[in-house]
Parts: sequence; structure tokens; C-alpha cells
Amino acid sequence: MADPEPVVIEQPPIEPDRSGPENLLVCLSPSPFSMPLIRATQRLAAAQQSKWFALYVETPAHDRLSPENRELVAQALYLAAKLGGQAVKVSGFRIADEILAFARENRVSKIFVGKPNARRWRRFLGLSLVDHLIWNCGAIDILVISGEAEEAEAPRAGAAGVKPPRLLKEYLLAAGGVGLCTGLGFALFPHLALRNLAMIYLLTVVVLSSWLPRGPALFSSFLSVAVFAFFFVPEYYSFVIANGEYSMTLVVMLVVSTLVSGLTARIRHQVRVARQQERQTAALYEMSQNLTAINSLEELLQVATEQISRIFDCRVGLLMPGSEDSLEIRAGHPYEDEYGKEGMVAKWVFKHGHLAGAGTETLPNVKGIYLPLIASQNVIGVLRLETGQPDRILAADSLRLLEALGSQVGLAIERENLSRQAQTARLQIEAEQLRNTLLSSVSHDLRTPLTVIAGSASSLLEGEESLDSGTKRELAQGIYEEARRLDRLVHNLLEMSRLQAGEARLNQEWYVLEEVIGSALAQLEPQMHDHPLRISLPTDLPLVQIDALLMERVVINLLENSIKYTPPGTPIEISGGIQGRELLVAIADRGPGVPAGQEEHIFEKFYQVAPGSQRGAGLGLTICRRIVEAHGGRIWAANRPEGGVIFHFTIPLQEGAPMLDKNLEELHQDHGDESDHSAD
Amino acid sequence: MATNPIILLIEDDASIRRFLRASLVTQGYELIEAAAGKEGLALAASRVPDVVLLDLGLPDMEGLEVIQQLRSWSNVPIIVLSARGQERDKVANLDAGADDYLTKPFGVGELLARMRVALRKAVPAEEGKPEESYSLGKFRVDFQRRLVFRDQEEVHLTPIEYKLLSVLIKHRGKVVTHRQLLKEVWGPSYIEQNPYLRIFILNLRRKLEDDPTRPQYLLTEPGVGYRLRDD
Repeated sequence: MADPEPVVIEQPPIEPDRSGPENLLVCLSPSPFSMPLIRATQRLAAAQQSKWFALYVETPAHDRLSPENRELVAQALYLAAKLGGQAVKVSGFRIADEILAFARENRVSKIFVGKPNARRWRRFLGLSLVDHLIWNCGAIDILVISGEAEEAEAPRAGAAGVKPPRLLKEYLLAAGGVGLCTGLGFALFPHLALRNLAMIYLLTVVVLSSWLPRGPALFSSFLSVAVFAFFFVPEYYSFVIANGEYSMTLVVMLVVSTLVSGLTARIRHQVRVARQQERQTAALYEMSQNLTAINSLEELLQVATEQISRIFDCRVGLLMPGSEDSLEIRAGHPYEDEYGKEGMVAKWVFKHGHLAGAGTETLPNVKGIYLPLIASQNVIGVLRLETGQPDRILAADSLRLLEALGSQVGLAIERENLSRQAQTARLQIEAEQLRNTLLSSVSHDLRTPLTVIAGSASSLLEGEESLDSGTKRELAQGIYEEARRLDRLVHNLLEMSRLQAGEARLNQEWYVLEEVIGSALAQLEPQMHDHPLRISLPTDLPLVQIDALLMERVVINLLENSIKYTPPGTPIEISGGIQGRELLVAIADRGPGVPAGQEEHIFEKFYQVAPGSQRGAGLGLTICRRIVEAHGGRIWAANRPEGGVIFHFTIPLQEGAPMLDKNLEELHQDHGDESDHSAD
Repeated sequence: MATNPIILLIEDDASIRRFLRASLVTQGYELIEAAAGKEGLALAASRVPDVVLLDLGLPDMEGLEVIQQLRSWSNVPIIVLSARGQERDKVANLDAGADDYLTKPFGVGELLARMRVALRKAVPAEEGKPEESYSLGKFRVDFQRRLVFRDQEEVHLTPIEYKLLSVLIKHRGKVVTHRQLLKEVWGPSYIEQNPYLRIFILNLRRKLEDDPTRPQYLLTEPGVGYRLRDD
């Protein structure tokens, strides 16, 4: 196709106040000619390095366009947006006024319009759009660009082909309505004055035009006037009008009914436009609302796909780069890729950052529509939509909404990624600090038992003959106990680093609390001898879902803490019970307690009540808190009024715990008959 | 005069080998040592030891592989030496055919007790002749009358509890994994039902132990299974 030549129609003298950047505006119409018009504008804008707009004025006439023509408009807007212009749709009644208002608001210096193809009589009367613009443009240049004639005419023919069958029903409805009204008129005729009868007809026209398109509405107004004149205006059953006054009534009736039908059509149009805009705004708003209340990338992708799927009634999948430069579905609906075509289109979209796929101009021979998710820097993913029906494609209007949603999602993903990076950086710094503190603290804590071990062992070596057997035994005992202590310390350190790294996945199973406590006590056996232990656990405690090894560590650390800080001979008490929907465990001692106000600090890393005075890296309670919280419970400390400290921790009770008695019976029924084995 | 039991120690750390040599030889065992898995397997074939002590962190082979190869031709008792925090490995090794395990660091007393149990298993004293009774501490089991006594008083056990106790007595002194217990007491389709087992052990402890939270007989092996103490 030959490039259209711009023809400058009018060039008023340049006014002094036009100093800002020159913006261009191209006016779109429901015609394929809009495309070359847009390209011409874009070329000029690029040459001048100016900003440009593509404007479509949606008038009530837009409603009467065929779907094909509406699609043309949407595609033109879409093309303009793709070429870097700002695509704008405004609604109004007088195209020229809207264009000029927009141009003035946006400091537009040149307006591009297509060559007029207004109907001959309008052109004759000087009513074409171009004439309007030129009369009223003031300082703005109007450039009229000619297209190929048949292109401009084509949509009109297409539109004509669609109309008759669609509107026939509406015309019949209009006629039926007027007929009904006439029936009513006959019934009321003896009781009503003529002008009141006319009111009934007017009412009918208002009712009809409130839900019929403009053509049938106008038809109903003319028809009602004609029918009224024929039946009820003397001379009856004739169009001859007996009295001049009556003709006045008829003229007023005709004018009023025509105006009313026109006005209702406009209102309906405005309502429709407003509703559509509201729907789009609501969709965008809802998306942005939902995307802000998100905690993880997975959740974000999930919410985004679900919502887009709901808005467009499509199957939606979200692809992001996986390993080995392939795209993997990360959320939403997976899809079949028979010949690898879908995957190729997805990759193309990911590489080029352009929309492609079914119903678009690029690579349309696939089932899916592929939208790039663009963050501020680059393409970070591809959104895939599939309508599910081969003949249903998304209209360009929907594509624009989809793109708006897509850019929201893209930015949200980027935001999430950035916050995750910041989080990682912060964790790294924390880990670094932890490592430093750990090293200094641990080296001290390791050295103490090592000193005891090395010293005792060397005494044993040196004084093989001079030492009596009691002393030897004491030294060996010291070595053994210090080694056990070292082992626990190392174990705590390992556990801490595992918890810190987030590697420790809970290996939860149903456990009996009693057994966990028993197993912890068994591991502390030699040290517990110095402290009388009181345990009070109800026998009917339900099973709890815990990682027994970790929970055992909690009990060990709490008991060890009590042993460490309380004088020998003082009792330690363990108790448990149900409180609400939790299992509450308490471990209490009769030691010096925690300094007031420090009850929370003791759970912090490396905290020691009296630094340096006691052994232990100050990790035990921190580990307890991590483990308990990983189980969904809480842990806290309090001083007892009668002296000593009491630690509490909770484990949430869960549904479906295996019951003691019920299972007992079931299993007996199953196996009672085969229990006649004995040991060999 | 091959009356001294032969112990094969497969362990790559020289200082641990030295400490075990010192402890075991004084106890009258004959110790042969291997620093790697292949060497250990070769020695196991040529010297036919009575017990194998196997360290898990060998330089050339996974401990599990050594167990599997050894089990393909030998029934020699295997005691695994492992670090704490490797409960899954322990269970896997026991399932693969190891007889028992010791968690490092361990005392010599513990090691000797495990070895005694392992050696007793290797030499079944009264084969084919069922035991009549078994007693441990305060409780006694009469297998013929299927009765259990504690301090001379009869304790009523349910059939399942009795069976569970019998299985533990059969393996006394040795760790029995959850899986193994469930399989032997309830049957193969119950091997995932650890909570049932815990409930029954709890009930058994309440009937047999003085203080069920500090059991003296029915010991818990955390993350692995249970062990009946053997004196």
C-alpha cells in the first residue's frame, strides 16, 4: 500500500504562546484506514521527537457499529499504543468538539484526520468532521490524509450487511408497542380528552426508546404520531386533520417524541460506557489491592492467575524462566503443547516482550494468548491465556485491559523479588554478625571444658604412681562429664545453624508427651542426680503432632538451664496439662530466678544473665524458642512468687489425634485371634 | 585356643581405633582393624569375626553399602557407630541388616553391653527349646501360662501388650525399630502406624514401670525405636 501523503489544509500564523513541546494527535475512526493514519503520525512524531496521541471519540453511534468495526477501532488503539503513542478513548456526542477539547488540554499542535467520507448531503451542507475542526481549531493545524477510497467504504458495506436481521425484531417490537397503546387508546377514548390521549402515546414512546436502539425508537415516535392522527384526530380513520389546532398538537407530539427517543439513547450510551469503564477500573483496582496483600511469590502468582482467569473467563497459566533457559509453568493452568508450538511462542514473547498468540497479529496459529510480564528492566515472565473455545478470541479492548493487568502483575513480581533480595541481604548481614559473635562466644565455651579434660588427663599421666585411686577416679569422671557437656554444646550449635539456615524441616508425628520427657531425662541422667525431680502429667493427655527429637531438645535445654543456674539439692518440677486448644508444659526450679525485666531477653542469642560466670553459649533458650515457634507454640519465662523461675511452653492441639482407648479396641478386634505367639 | 571372640573394627579415625583397641583388648577380645570399607570386607571374609563394629563415615564406601555387601553372605552381628542427628541413617542401616548402633560419643560400658547382646545372639544357647520364663528387675514373664508378674503380683496385659512385650524380650538388649515392632506385633500392613505403637508402649510402661516417665526397662531410642534393658 502506498504511504498516504499528508496534505496541509490550513496553516494559521504561528502564535507567540506556542512554546512548549509540539504534541501530535491522530483521530481514529472505525475504518481500516486508521492504521496507515497512525503509522504516518508515528513517523512524523518520531522525526520531530514529539509525543503523540491517538484519540477515538465514542459517540452513541459506536453502539450501532458492527462488531467488526468496533474491533477495528480497538485494534487501531492497540496499534497506536504499541507504536509508542498514547491511545485514548473518550466518550461524547460531538466528535469535533471532543477532539478539540482534548487537543487543547494536551497542548496538541497538529491534528491528523482521515479524508472526509461523510455522506454526500452532510458534505454539501458543510457538516463533515473536517469542516467542523477547521472552523473551530484556532491555533491548531489540521492535517487531512487521504486513504484509498475502497478501504474507506468497505466497513460501511460490511455494517449494512449485518443490520437488517438484527434490528427487524426491534422494529416489530416498536410497532407492537404502538399497537398495544392504540388498543388502550380505544378503551379510554370515550373518557379522555384528546391531549391526554397524546400523553399516553408519548409515554409509550419514552418506554420503548428506553430499551430499543435509536432507529426503532425513532420509528416508534413517527408511527405513534401517524397512528394517533389516523385513529383519534378528527377526521377519524383518515390522515385528514379537521382542525388547525390538532395539527399543532401533532407537530408538538412529533418533536417531543423524537427528542425523547434521542435523549434516552444518549443516556443509555453513557450508562453503558460508564459501566464498562467502571468494570475495567474495578478489575485493575481489585488486582492492585490483592497484589499488595501478598506474602510470597508463589501466593502472588497464584492470586494473579486466579484473578485474570476470572476476569477473562479463560484458563490462565503463568510461565517463568526455569532451569536451562526454558519457561516453566509456575502457577495456574498447565497446558498441552503438541508440536512444541506453544512453547516456542512463549519463548518468543519472553525474548521480544511483545504480545503474541491466538487473536493477535503475531504468531496467531496457537491456542494460547501470550502476554509478556514486564518489570521495569526486562521481561520476567509470560502470562498465558486460553479461551478454551477455538473460535473465541479476546477483543482488542480486552487485550488492553489484559496488558494493564499484566504490567501490574509484572511490577508486583519485581517488587516481591526486590523485597526478597533485600531480605536475603539482611539475613546475610545477620548471619555474618551471628558468626562473629558465635566464634568469640563458642571459643570461650569450648575452651573451658577442654581445659578440664586436658588438665585432668595430664594429671593422670604425670601422677600415675602418686595419685590414689579415688583421685584418679575423680579426674576420669571429670573428663567424662566435660566431654558429655562438649557434645551437647556441639549438638546445640549444629541445631542452631540448621534452624538458622531454615533447613530444619519438622518431622512431625503423633507423640506422647510423657515419652518425649522421659527420653530427654534419660539423656541428662548423670546430672539430674543432684536435683529431686517431680513430674505431674495427667494420664489422659492427647497425643500431639511434634518433631520428637526437636521437642526433646527443648526439654533438655530447659532442664539443663535449671540445673546450671540452681544450687544442688533444689527440686525441679515438670508439669503439663491442657489449656484451651493447647498443651501447656511447665518446667520450674527453685533457683535465683531471672533478673526482673529480663524475662524476654533470656531468649535472645548469646544472652547470659551474668556474662562469663557460667558455661553455655547462651544458645539453649534461643533454640527452644525457635523450635517451639516452629511448632506453632509459644515459650516464656516468669519468676515464681515463692522463688525460682518457671518456663512455660505450648504445643497446639490438633484434630485427628489417635485416641488411646478407641484404637486399642479396634486393633484388638483385628488381631485378638493371632496373639498366641510367645517368645522363643 | 580360639576362645576369645574376634572383633572386626572398620573405622578410619586412628585415635578412635587406638581407644577401642586399648579398651577391648583389656577386656579379652581379639581385635582386627580396618581403616576402609573394602579392606574391612576382605578381612570379614578371611578372618570370620564374631562381631563387626562399623563406622559410618568411611572414606571409600557408604556404611549402608558395607552392610548390604556383608549381609549378602554373612550373618555376623553388625554394630554401627554413628553421630547424633543421623536418626534416619540409623533406621536405614538397621533395616538393611545392622543389629544395633551406638551414638558417638559413647562410653566403653555401653559398647561392651551392646557387644555382649550381639555375641549372645550369635551363639543361641538353647536352640529350639522355648524359654519357660523371663525375669527382669521387678517383673517376671511366665511364657507357658502367658502371665506377667510385677513384685509377685499378676499384671493384666491385653493380648497386644503381651505380644509387644514378648517381641521386645525376644530382642532384649537390642534396639528394635518402630517398623520392626509394628510388623512383628501387628503385621506388615501396620508398619506406618507409629502412633499406635507409642500408645501401647505407654500403656505397657504404666503397667510395668515404677515411674513411666523415667522408664528403667522399656527404653526409648529417640527417632529409632525401643530397647528392652538387659542385665
